[in-house]
Amino acid sequence: MKGFDEIQQLWQGQRPEPNVSFETILKRIQGSKAALAKKLFWQSIAVGVAVVLLLWMCFTVDFSTWTTYLALAMLGGCVCYYFLNQLRDYRDIKNSEHLLSKPEDYIQYLKTFQQKRNRFNTRNYAVYEICVAVAFGLYGIEMYFVLPFWTFVGAIAFMVFWFLICHYIFMKQYIRNENARIEEMIANLERIKSQFRDV
Amino acid sequence: MNNQRQLFQQLFEDNSKKVYHLCYGYTGDRDSANDLMQETFIKVWQNLEKFRNQAQLSTWIYRIAVNTCLSYLRTAKRRATDELNENIVENYAEEYSEKQEQIALLYKSIAKLEENERIIISMVLDEIPYSEIAEVAGISEGNLRVKIHRIKHKLTEIYNSNERV
Repeated sequence: MKGFDEIQQLWQGQRPEPNVSFETILKRIQGSKAALAKKLFWQSIAVGVAVVLLLWMCFTVDFSTWTTYLALAMLGGCVCYYFLNQLRDYRDIKNSEHLLSKPEDYIQYLKTFQQKRNRFNTRNYAVYEICVAVAFGLYGIEMYFVLPFWTFVGAIAFMVFWFLICHYIFMKQYIRNENARIEEMIANLERIKSQFRDV
Repeated sequence: MNNQRQLFQQLFEDNSKKVYHLCYGYTGDRDSANDLMQETFIKVWQNLEKFRNQAQLSTWIYRIAVNTCLSYLRTAKRRATDELNENIVENYAEEYSEKQEQIALLYKSIAKLEENERIIISMVLDEIPYSEIAEVAGISEGNLRVKIHRIKHKLTEIYNSNERV
């Protein structure tokens, strides 16, 4: 039978000590900065390539209908919107003001941030899907005038089939998984937040 | 830059051990504790400018450590207590002695507490003043004293019941 004082003595005599040196931390600080910068760099490159490709198509390919240009503009808008949102969230994570908040407030921040990310990932997925579908639909008008009739029908049938697969299989599964994950996370955060409530 | 490095080194030397204990008490395994401690000090480095005006640097470091621990469980899948306990025992298997066994039992007992209780008791065991713990946890000192009384009793009970098994 031990009393609390004996437990405390046991704790203070423990050997476990951090096996991380000051130099390791400094190296990791450099490393983590580089990793984030690298990730942002490659994302920017990917977006840049996509935008350049869309602009190149706009200026070099002579499309016969204005709807195709509208479709390209919509696709470009989607890519840029996604990238700007990612950038804003990275900045939000890096902004460590919240880190100095009371645990209860910090948990509230985590909860709000996660809910916002969830909305972005699920609701916006549907918006993307609609935008991409409309863009391809607009491009379909161009194809109608350019392609032989049965090739056009085949292309449209393939696009419709692909969108149905995306909508009914990929999107539904993705949203279901995301919602389940976020619900579990929010429940955990709520539970921990209630522990820190000052009553 | 050199001054900043010196200040950071000083902060690391003064606080790393206690921050590590806090992270170890919270997660129950050494690897995660080391990761969280590193993450805490990376954030300390990133906020060094803001710290300069603070009277109690250690309080802010603990606050960051606590919030880092809390966000750790946000991403890591919450493990069942039994699984956590197995890890603790495994961690100590290599350097087995009666004292190590008792310390493993202590961590096993801490793992059975709620998250905020683990954080508070780790700081109490490290003899951090109550006023500082209250500041870190964001609760009043009166409330903290009530909590500490309850947690001490709970931990002692869990420890002794584990020891009997």
